Amino acid sequence: MPWPTTRRVIGTKVSRLDGPEKATGRAKYSYDINRPGMLHARILRSHYAHARIKNIDTSALEKVPGFRAFHIIKNAGAECRFAGDEVLAVCADTEEHAEDCLRAVRVDYDELPHAVKEADARRLVAGQGTLGGANNPANTQAGGDFATANFDAQAYQGTSHQIEGTYGAPVISHQCLESHGLVAEWNQDQSELTVWASTQAVPNTANQLAQNFKIPAARVRCITHYMGGGFGSKFGPDIQGTVCAELARKTRAPVKLMLDRAEEVTVGGQRPSAYGTVKVAGNRQGDIRAFEVDCYGSPGVGGGATVNFNLLPYVYVTVPFIKRRHQIVRMNVQTARAMRAPGHPQNCILTDQALDDLAAAVGINPIEMRLRNLPPNDPNALKTAPNTYMARRNSIYRSQIEIIRKMCDWDRVWHPPGRGDGVVKTGLGMALHTWGGGGRGPNPTRITISADGSVLVQSSSQDLGTGQRTVAAIVTAEIFGLEPTDITVQIGESQHGPSTPSGGSTTCPGTAPAILRACEATRAAFLAAIAPRLNNAQVDDLVIERGNILNRANNERTPWRQACARLGQNPVQATGDWAAGLSDQGVGGVQVAEVKVDTETGVVRCTRFWAVQDCGLVINKLCCESQVAGGVIMGVNYALFEECIYDRATGRQVNPDMEFYKLGGIQDMPQIYVHMMDMPERGVIGIGEPPTISTAAAVGNAVFNAIGVRVEQAPFTPERVLAALARRK
Amino acid sequence: MKNFTYFRPTTPEQAVALLENRWGNTELLAGGTDLHDLQKEYVAQPARVVSLSGVNALAGIRVEEKSVRIGAGAKLADIANHAELKRLFPSLTDAADQIGGPQIRNMGTLGGNLCQRNRCWYFRDEHTNCLLKTGQRCFALDGENKYHAIFSQGHRCVIVNPSTLAPALIALGASAVVQGPNGRRTIELGRFFRAPGANNEREHVLEANDMVVEVTIPRSNLANASYEVRHKQAYDWPLVQAAVSFERGDGGVRNPRVVLGHVAPTPHVAEAAARSITGQAVSEATAGAAGRAAAQDAKPLSQNGYKVKLVEVAVKRALIIAAGQKRYWEV
Repeated sequence: MPWPTTRRVIGTKVSRLDGPEKATGRAKYSYDINRPGMLHARILRSHYAHARIKNIDTSALEKVPGFRAFHIIKNAGAECRFAGDEVLAVCADTEEHAEDCLRAVRVDYDELPHAVKEADARRLVAGQGTLGGANNPANTQAGGDFATANFDAQAYQGTSHQIEGTYGAPVISHQCLESHGLVAEWNQDQSELTVWASTQAVPNTANQLAQNFKIPAARVRCITHYMGGGFGSKFGPDIQGTVCAELARKTRAPVKLMLDRAEEVTVGGQRPSAYGTVKVAGNRQGDIRAFEVDCYGSPGVGGGATVNFNLLPYVYVTVPFIKRRHQIVRMNVQTARAMRAPGHPQNCILTDQALDDLAAAVGINPIEMRLRNLPPNDPNALKTAPNTYMARRNSIYRSQIEIIRKMCDWDRVWHPPGRGDGVVKTGLGMALHTWGGGGRGPNPTRITISADGSVLVQSSSQDLGTGQRTVAAIVTAEIFGLEPTDITVQIGESQHGPSTPSGGSTTCPGTAPAILRACEATRAAFLAAIAPRLNNAQVDDLVIERGNILNRANNERTPWRQACARLGQNPVQATGDWAAGLSDQGVGGVQVAEVKVDTETGVVRCTRFWAVQDCGLVINKLCCESQVAGGVIMGVNYALFEECIYDRATGRQVNPDMEFYKLGGIQDMPQIYVHMMDMPERGVIGIGEPPTISTAAAVGNAVFNAIGVRVEQAPFTPERVLAALARRK
Repeated sequence: MKNFTYFRPTTPEQAVALLENRWGNTELLAGGTDLHDLQKEYVAQPARVVSLSGVNALAGIRVEEKSVRIGAGAKLADIANHAELKRLFPSLTDAADQIGGPQIRNMGTLGGNLCQRNRCWYFRDEHTNCLLKTGQRCFALDGENKYHAIFSQGHRCVIVNPSTLAPALIALGASAVVQGPNGRRTIELGRFFRAPGANNEREHVLEANDMVVEVTIPRSNLANASYEVRHKQAYDWPLVQAAVSFERGDGGVRNPRVVLGHVAPTPHVAEAAARSITGQAVSEATAGAAGRAAAQDAKPLSQNGYKVKLVEVAVKRALIIAAGQKRYWEV
């Protein structure tokens, strides 16, 4: 069954079904779960950035009021490789007593050399490294090296203008409002485990715990009815999940272990830094011929690239001559986790800001620069898959740019960089992005129609806060002629079967087709069941319209509830799963920021923001727009406020909080204008990640436009803006 | 959090009698927005906590003929929203209105704002043993110091005093009424603060068994204003604050006071700025000159040179607001 061509509910603005629950606090997040007799666990962490454990003395624990149990995570001799690395966990009757227990444990360490700043880590060659293990390997490793053939000989031939600039952004933290963690509870004979976990992968979390405890997967139940943000950092039980379940087993009591704010910031996940020197060259008309980038960044103590190497330059992938080099700089801070479009915001920062600098050098409008350098629609894709991003990317960006140009009144508001009177300068800046967002299975979804007319949709898939319940209700309501509020949706429980983790903007495109196909199967079963009881109607004559079952043979209409009543004692139930053809992947988006820069104080305010986003078939326009607004808010924070600041001497993060790890409040956020491009012929495509990608680069370009000088590093703080202004003079 | 014994006296005298003559073992609890954070972080570990929630005498704002008396227990929100205070002392009410967020302002008190501990991230980290604990070094001196002091006179610890009310109150000539074990005394707020350098020193001159009961501000027709340069508009500390007051006269500004916040271990009286604007009509030029004078003795650390420029701007803008002139930076 394809998506309906005429849509009554799909694509409209539907308020979240669980909005009132969340707004009133009735919605219970993992953090809110309190079980009878529940204990509280906390984790003792290395406060050194790099140290070897000499000795762990737990003898004083027994005397601490409320102490129940402890669990060693790292033994004497083991290395801790960042401040926050787990050593041991305790549980007690209250959270406060558990904290007291941590202070009663004495751990002796041999302190080892550390590096917590990229510049320091880059200097450490083999033999000097601070990552531990044998021979102290260097903290740096190659992350990629590529050049178009004949780059050195030909790249700059015939170019009239060239710029070289440095751009970058620091390590930032996910800062999930609901921290990582869970409540774990075993049954009486300890054969079954139930966890209420804050996770973006419900079955995966249950399965990993089952493996860790060597019990059948069917005997672990993970429940995530609501969760307060993951952004790519919550795909499994983590150490704290396993430890919590272990302590619950030891104490034969339910145990809660949620990270506190400082832990959430220092161990709950980070987006790696990226810094680069970029050279771009082109001709007088603004055609880019050469793009050269030499960049590095830190994924923390673990490995992994900090940019998307093969997508540099970003979006403008058909620049004729490309040279790129990336260096991975490991240092003694937590390992990076996927964060809302891994690598892409960094790529965008390194590409789209350099593009505006070249536009300024050439003396053309950045919009014209972009239009000239957009990749063409891919001719091969046009033949084989004409609805895909590859086939249509040029057309998509071109139409998006024209839409946003009108929305923000670009041609009137934009001015050449640095022009404008007064102390407070206004600027406009643009940036482009792309993302995948393809769905996949398995996401089996079960639908049950009962004689009372109720419709129940069940799957294990989780709602990260993006409106997944409402997606399920919208699709189901569309097919059964009902309203979304008529549908009961049960999600976020592993016993409903497998489902894909919510990563890569795949939840809606992974589940909506499954829900549609479940609807199709259930509808067939339903009509077959009631046809004999509707005056022996022929199944093929029955159609579901809004609120009624229509028998086309005699034009008889039976209201939904009356029709369902014919089911008697036997509800109908059917399942459906994801299948290709109902979802797609690959989107484009364009964003424009307006900023006001106080040139005396260096304070930047982002005042207005426009976002045009394609996501294929829109299921819930309200939630789509909300996702885009949320992405923009996250991106404005990346641009103006967020930075993990690590202290060289102590190796510790000095701002693991919400005080000096700055996150804007409502007064700091722009008025956000969203335009969704509904392209139903493409099927459903994910929207979670793309709208946060180009925000920081757009803000950076707006600052450049306002003051006529590039502020090289995000966040664009007063001190950095003032330093840039001083350079101009 | 270390367990503690909780006391709830009903008079200032009873409260003071519960205190000890050394810091640390007993702490006063007013709004709790600072102390409880410090306890949860194990930076403060008092065995005894003396709550002031039952001391009704500390509440209230009284506008009298010659002075305004604000109880130490007055909430920041009450100060910010007090109509008569807004008219007389906008420097104070604007400063109060920008502290923290609504929750902080609804709980935080005047006395707590004056006596709160500093916000240095090394001091507040349980695992960093700095000078103000039992350590031997100030980590900010050559560490992460972009929010630290730019005026120091050989201070070993380079915190900034966190009170945003203090600069406004000092510029208005306010005094604190302090209850000690031997009765009450009055301390000019200009002499109330000190730069701590060890674990037995606080950010003010009070003894461990003293407490602020009231702040009095002489009534006057002083022009006054406070201006903060803030990175964020929501919930943030000022990067730099300037509070000013002066008498308006035919010959220009008379008896000005310029007090800077968040730039030194104590509120910083900028005498050179006051001299610069004395006798001048306030204009962008004269206010700018006063701002430059305010900044001239700054000795920034490795990462906070930008705050010198912000001092210049904050003083200039505070003078312009106090003089009732057009805020040229608002568009």
